[in-house]
Amino acid sequence: MTYHPAHISWLETEIPGAPGTAFHLAPKTVRDVESILRYCSERSLVVQVWGGGSHSGFGDPTPPDFVMAMERMGEIERWEPDDLTIVLGAGARIEAVEAMLAERNQSLALPERPGPATVGGVVAAGISGLRRGRLYSTRERVLEVSMVTGDGRLVRSGGRVVKNVTGYDLHRVAVGAFGSLGVIVSVCLKLWPTPPGAVTVMVDDLERAAAVVRPLAVLETSGQIQVYLQGTEAEVESQADRLGGRAMAGFDWPADPRDAWRWSLRVPPAMTGPAVTRLPGSWSYIAVHGVGEVRAASPSVDGAEDVRSWAQSLGGHLVMVAGDPSVFDPWGTPPPGLDLQRRLIAEFDPMRILNPGRLPGGV
Amino acid sequence: MSLVDELRAVLGDEDVLEQPVELHLFSKDASLMRGQPSCVAFPDNAAEVAEIVRIAERHGVPIVARGAGTGLAAGASPTEGGIVVVSTAMTDIAIDVDNRTAWVGAGVINLDLSREASPYGLHFAPDPSSQSACTIGGNVANNSGGPHCLAEGSTTSHVLGMEVVLAGGEVAFLGSQAPDPPGLDLKGAIVGSEGTLGFVTRVLVRLLPIEPDVRTLLMSFDTVEDAARTVSDVIAAGLVPAALEMMDRRMCEVVENWLQAGLPIDAEAILLAEVVGESDGVASQAGVIADIARLNHTTDVEIAATPEDRALLWKARKSAFGAIAQLATDYYLHDAVVPRTRLVETMKAVYAIADRHGLTMANVFHAGDGNLHPLIAFDASDEEANRIVHQAGEEIVAACLAVGGALSGEHGIGVEKRDLMGANFTELDLDAQARLKEVFDPAGVFNPRKVLPSGSRCFDFGGIRRELPDGVWV
Repeated sequence: MTYHPAHISWLETEIPGAPGTAFHLAPKTVRDVESILRYCSERSLVVQVWGGGSHSGFGDPTPPDFVMAMERMGEIERWEPDDLTIVLGAGARIEAVEAMLAERNQSLALPERPGPATVGGVVAAGISGLRRGRLYSTRERVLEVSMVTGDGRLVRSGGRVVKNVTGYDLHRVAVGAFGSLGVIVSVCLKLWPTPPGAVTVMVDDLERAAAVVRPLAVLETSGQIQVYLQGTEAEVESQADRLGGRAMAGFDWPADPRDAWRWSLRVPPAMTGPAVTRLPGSWSYIAVHGVGEVRAASPSVDGAEDVRSWAQSLGGHLVMVAGDPSVFDPWGTPPPGLDLQRRLIAEFDPMRILNPGRLPGGV
Repeated sequence: MSLVDELRAVLGDEDVLEQPVELHLFSKDASLMRGQPSCVAFPDNAAEVAEIVRIAERHGVPIVARGAGTGLAAGASPTEGGIVVVSTAMTDIAIDVDNRTAWVGAGVINLDLSREASPYGLHFAPDPSSQSACTIGGNVANNSGGPHCLAEGSTTSHVLGMEVVLAGGEVAFLGSQAPDPPGLDLKGAIVGSEGTLGFVTRVLVRLLPIEPDVRTLLMSFDTVEDAARTVSDVIAAGLVPAALEMMDRRMCEVVENWLQAGLPIDAEAILLAEVVGESDGVASQAGVIADIARLNHTTDVEIAATPEDRALLWKARKSAFGAIAQLATDYYLHDAVVPRTRLVETMKAVYAIADRHGLTMANVFHAGDGNLHPLIAFDASDEEANRIVHQAGEEIVAACLAVGGALSGEHGIGVEKRDLMGANFTELDLDAQARLKEVFDPAGVFNPRKVLPSGSRCFDFGGIRRELPDGVWV
């Protein structure tokens, strides 16, 4: 199928929050995406891929000529409850999918308070849920990715089975690649069953939290530590007793802190506690203990440089999630293997039209 | 200087083998495919591997990485000749208890890592059946699984970083102890790449806490269908046991005859399930699984009461492939994976294929993952038998793909399944994978002609512009 410019009228859309200077498109099919990307590659037109807009602040993006919204490609393609797998169009809203899965006591175990975030967006940005210490990160939950490369090739990697070593794991590389290899059009994810027991316990200090061997999550917000317990009812009850703090039934996941600047501080897991003490007093945060992730927000960029140099001295990073990339370097010291990364991207997006500037090191 | 002389100048005389009998020993892995190496090298560290890579590039010979040689897909067989580079001298283990990680030399044996970690209450989750022999480097190369990756995932989920020697002898550190290192996940591409992208010398692995309590259930069934349905029902009930394994009657007979582990020999199929966690949790989970088995007409449920009983059951499971020697001199062990819900029909198809060819087949597999391991016992010196076994193998793979499965769940592609890749992927998919390989290894030094069939890199979209008139949306 080839497109004439007349076809663009039914692809046109208006995306709130997306750069207004660009032309907004909303493809409905994989063929649409292929056609648009070939067209743009031939003319070196920059495309910004748009899910829910939740992670559009990463990096230092080049202003796009086109914004490609994935909102019309959000189908639930195939849910196999007994297999614990689901295939979703990239534009599927996490919140809506989770509501559907909850009826069968299953979960994507992606971010708990996703707002408008889409599956494709979260996968492309490599964003994980607060439960990742127990249920693993998003990258570990992605079984298959189908994407359209910058020059319009549909490429699939992985498979719709829970265990698979067939071929190279390009789908893992696509997670957190910010669309630099291709526009993700669909994803197969491993689901997690939700057992009946769910209790949140407030504890005074981290040592107390260690009484449970593998909790679902241990979070710290403004000096308060909450232990999230999940399992059979008998199991969580006895765990809650052992922890001994104030217990509440169910989970009330905290929302990511919001302010003019937003951050993801990443350090070795045992340094999560010390990381909190390094944050300037004006910063709000959620610390994910046992993982090494602190999600933070600040009214200004003051103090960020100190936090970054401390994190980097531990082999970690302070990543800017939202802010002004002309004021503060969004990623910090570039990662190793930049030449390999550049050459790999060149094989998938030879004209560099897909989300340029989002990745570290100017890749 | 000759290849061997150059290598000896770097590694020393003893660490380079070239005698015919030595070369023969390293001419194959645990698959049935043999190659002819030029020599075998035993480097001690990344710097030495880097020198080997440069020497190989100068001489235009391949490098074939090898750990313990337990691979089943000929990934470590030097089928294109070259230098077999063995990781077994790289055996350092440095455990970081606070962060629950360890830097591990590629030559460390899988089980040794968990043994070293156990005094700290930690273990390495991937546990292939060969874990008492296979190396971490081999696990990384193959993205190895094992019974316990049902709940915790395969090796790739437990590799946080690596020291890797790339083309040109460049040594890179990829990944980190901190989560989500920025940039493309190159490490994730290298895990499971079967030594075709670089040579991994050290690995930063995740260690998991040893759970406080465990129950192992042994359940017997009169039909394979009942056992398979139990597997599906357990998963559907919202339980993810630590392991969920199946053995059929033929397999139980040969294992029991050898080990006397107490396996039933009159059941058509048995399930081995393990649940881990806090005491209250494992007791209730074990109860739920037993109830589901009863609904599916189990004839007997036993719960291993002591660590010794548990160990014996697992020994029976993991010794299955050795026990098969009672049936024939050789075996061909298959590995394919299907959606869990398609287990019953796939097993029926697999038995029908074996019957049709008059083959002796036994089954022991990771039922919870839908990962099948039909094992065919035969005499490899009989050419006709070889042909039939391979024919049956291709039919089994086709049956798995037909229900939405994949070529390999944990053994890898290597040479064994290389030419079947086109049945699993489109030409564009294979082309994309070939591009990845080329980016890492432009000269084709690392384990050439493995994983991808020849001709994979066949698409050049640069030409598309010329075929289309101006102004057309393409």
